[in-house]
Amino acid sequence: MSEGGTARPVRPRPRLRTFGITAGLLAFTGFAAREVEFAVSTFWEAWNNPLWEKFWPVPWDWVLDRSNVLDPLVETFQIAILATIVGCGLALPISFAMSRLTAPNRPTYLVSRSVMNVVRAVPDLFWAKLLVTAVGIGAFAGTWALSVFSLAVMVKLFSETVDNADPRPLEAARATGSRHLPAIRTGVLPTVLPEYVAYALYVFELNIRASIVLGLVGAGGIGRVLEAQRQFFRFDRVLGMLIIVFVVVFVIEQVSVAIRKRLV
Amino acid sequence: MTATHTPSTVSRPSPPSGVRRRRALLALALVIGGVWSVTGIDVTLERFLGAPGDAWDIFKRLWPPAMDEALDRGVVGKVFESVYIAWIGTIIGAVLSLPLAFLAATNVAPRWIRVPVRQLFNAIRAVPELIVAVIFIPITGLGPWAGTLAIGLHSVGTLGKWATEAIEGVDTGPLEAVEATGGRWVSGMRWGILPQIMPIVASFWLFRFEINVRASAVLGMIGAGGVGAELVSQLMFRNFSAVGAVLGITVLVVLTIDTMSAAVRRRIIAGVTRTGGPDDGDRNAEALADLTGFRR
Amino acid sequence: MIRFEDVSVTYRGGVQALRGLDLTIEDGEFIVIVGLSGAGKSTLLRALNGLVPATGGSITVDDAEVVGASAAELRALRSQIGMIFQTFNLVNRTSVLNNVLMGRLGTVPVWRSTLGLWPADDRERAMQALERVGIVEKAYVRASNLSGGQQQRVGIARALVQEPSVMLADEPVASLDPVTSRQVMGDLQRINRDLGITTIVNLHYLDLAQEFGSRLVGLRDGELVFDGDIADVDDDTFMEIYGRAISDDDLVGTEDDLT
Repeated sequence: MSEGGTARPVRPRPRLRTFGITAGLLAFTGFAAREVEFAVSTFWEAWNNPLWEKFWPVPWDWVLDRSNVLDPLVETFQIAILATIVGCGLALPISFAMSRLTAPNRPTYLVSRSVMNVVRAVPDLFWAKLLVTAVGIGAFAGTWALSVFSLAVMVKLFSETVDNADPRPLEAARATGSRHLPAIRTGVLPTVLPEYVAYALYVFELNIRASIVLGLVGAGGIGRVLEAQRQFFRFDRVLGMLIIVFVVVFVIEQVSVAIRKRLV
Repeated sequence: MTATHTPSTVSRPSPPSGVRRRRALLALALVIGGVWSVTGIDVTLERFLGAPGDAWDIFKRLWPPAMDEALDRGVVGKVFESVYIAWIGTIIGAVLSLPLAFLAATNVAPRWIRVPVRQLFNAIRAVPELIVAVIFIPITGLGPWAGTLAIGLHSVGTLGKWATEAIEGVDTGPLEAVEATGGRWVSGMRWGILPQIMPIVASFWLFRFEINVRASAVLGMIGAGGVGAELVSQLMFRNFSAVGAVLGITVLVVLTIDTMSAAVRRRIIAGVTRTGGPDDGDRNAEALADLTGFRR
Repeated sequence: MIRFEDVSVTYRGGVQALRGLDLTIEDGEFIVIVGLSGAGKSTLLRALNGLVPATGGSITVDDAEVVGASAAELRALRSQIGMIFQTFNLVNRTSVLNNVLMGRLGTVPVWRSTLGLWPADDRERAMQALERVGIVEKAYVRASNLSGGQQQRVGIARALVQEPSVMLADEPVASLDPVTSRQVMGDLQRINRDLGITTIVNLHYLDLAQEFGSRLVGLRDGELVFDGDIADVDDDTFMEIYGRAISDDDLVGTEDDLT
C-alpha cells in the first residue's frame, strides 16, 4: 500500500486531436452565430417592444365564433385523421418490404429503403408546398402531404419493429410450406400488430401537431387563418387562436397517450 | 390419436368475443372517422384519383435539377444558413434546458419547483417551431435570428425532458458522497451527477440537432432564414428544375448530417453502455470525448 | 467527543431503525459496529452526520448539536466528518484526482469548485491523501478503470482530504474480496493511529471486527445490545447480537478459503 516511493504522475496534457476538434467546433459555432445574426440584446429589446401590446387583449368574441377558429380547426383534424389512415395503411406493406426479416427479395428491400430515406429527408412542409403547387391550395394538398410524411415516419418506426420480431414463428410458418405473404400474415403480423397500432396513434399525434402549421404554406386547416391574421398584424386574434388550438391539442394528446399506454 | 375420435367430455370453448368486438369497434371508428374527414375536405373522386397524376406532372419536371442556376443563386449558402440556424438554436436550447432539467428531476429537485418546470417543458413542446417563429418575427424582424430563437426555444422542451430522464436514471451514490462532505446542492449536481449524464445528454443534443436541421429548412418558408424561402420563391415562379436543385441539395446535406451525427451518437452510446471490462467502455468514452469535444 | 443520547430514528414508512440509543465515543477511538443487516448500523452513521435526520434525542459532535441543525450548520459539521461507503460512491466517469477533490466541496467556494478551479493547496492535499493510501500514481486515471480495492482507497482518500476529526465507514469492505478487505481495514486502522482520527466502522464480518477493532458495539433491532472491549468478546456475545449461531457467511475468511 503505502510502499511510498511511487512518484506522482504528471498531469496528462489534452491530446492534440481533442484540442483540434474543440477549437474547430468553437470556431464553427462562432461563425454560425455571426451568420444567424446572434444578438443577446434581442432578449431585453423584445421585452420593451411595443408590438407586445398588439397581442392583448384577446378578442374572445371573434375567437369563439364558429366560422373563425372552430371550423378550420375541425378541418385540421380531418386532415390529420385522413393522413394517418392513408399513411399508416400504406406503411404496413411497405414496412414488410423494408425489413430484413420479411423483405421478399433483396432489390425490393434496397429500393424501398433508399426511397423512404430520401422521402424522410425532405422536410414535411416542403412536401406540403410541393403538393399545394401540384394539386392546388387547400386541405386536399395538406392531406396528401401529411400522408407522405406519416408514411415516412411510420415505415421507419414499424420496419424496425419488424426487424426485431421473433423470426422463429416465421420459420415455422415457412416450414409448413406456406407462401411468402401468408407466412408473414400468420408468423409475423400478430406479434407486431400491437406496436403497429401504438405507432399509428403516435403518428396521429404528430399529424395533429403538423396539421396546425400546414396552413402556413397554403395547405388548409387552421394555419390558413393564422397566416391571414398574422399578415393583418392581428396578433391578438393569433394569440386567442393559439390558446384554443393548444387546449384542444392537449386534450387529444392526453386521450391518445392513454390509449397507447393501454395497448402496449 | 386413435382411429375413431372419441368426443371429449370437456366442451369445446367458444371463441372469445372481447377481441373480436374490439377489432370491430376499431374498424368502425376508422371508417366513420375516414368518411367524416373526407366529407369535410372537399374531395371528389375525380380529384382524388387525379392527384397522383398531377403530382407526378410536377415531380417529373424537377428533373433534371438546374444545379448551375442554383449554385449561382447561392442555394448552397442558404442550405448552410439553415444548418447554422439549427446549430445555434440547438446550443441555445441545450444551454437553457440543462440547468432547468436539474430542477425538474424527481431525485434531485424538491416538489415545489419540479412540478412547474415540468409543466413548462410540456407547454414548450406543445408549440411548434413555426408558431414560435410567427410570434418572434414581429419582434426580431424577418431573418435567421427569428428562426434561431424559435428553434432554440422549442428545443428547450424536448431537450429538457430528455435530460430530466437522464438525471432520474443516475446512480445517486456520488450525490450522497458530496452531501456527506458538506457540499452544497449545486456541487452535488456539478460533481455527483453531471459527469454521469454528460455523454448521454450530449448525444441527445446531437439528435435534436438532426431534427432541427429539417425544422430550420422549413422555417425559411415563412421568412425566418435559410433554404425554405428559396423553395417557396422558385415554386412561385414555377421554375421546377430550380426547385429540383434546391430539394436535391437540401436532401444531400440533411442526409450527410444525419449520417455523421448518428455515427458520433453511436460511439457515445457505445461508450456509456459497454461496461464489460474496466477499460473497454472507457476507451470508447474517450473516443467520444475526442469527437464531440465534450471532454471533462 | 461524540455523544448519542436517547437517539431514535423512525423512517417515513414507520420503520423504527434506532430506538433510544445511548453511546459515547472518545476522541481517537476505533469503534466497530456489528449487527445483522437492518439492525440500524447504517442509520447510526448517517444520523451522526445528518444524512438521515434523527427523530428523537440528541447527537453532539464536539458540542455541536446535529439534531435540528440548520442546513449551513450541517454542511459545516459534515465537512469535519469523512464518510466511506460500501459501494464506494465514486463518479466513475471522471479522474481519481477529481473524485478526491470532491472531499473539499464543503470548504472550497462554490464558484471555484463548479468551474473546476481547485485551489493549489487543495490539489496538494488531494495528492497527499492519495499518497497516504498508496495510489498516487493513479491520480489522472478514470475511477472506473480501477479495481474494487483501489476504488475504495480513492473513497478513503476523498474522506481524508477533508482533514476530518471523525471518519465514518459504512460497510467499507462488503464489496471486496478477503485479501483486499484486510488491506483496506489495515489502511483505516493505520490512519486512525497515525492521524488520531476517531473512526467508526460498520462491519458485517465478525472475524474482521475482532482482528481490527478495539471497541465493539453491537446493534440488534435498532437497540444497543453490546458495548465493550473487543478482548471481552466471544462467540456468546455474537450469539446475543445476532440472535443465532455464527455461520460462515458472517466471516470474511482467509486467503486459504479462496483457493
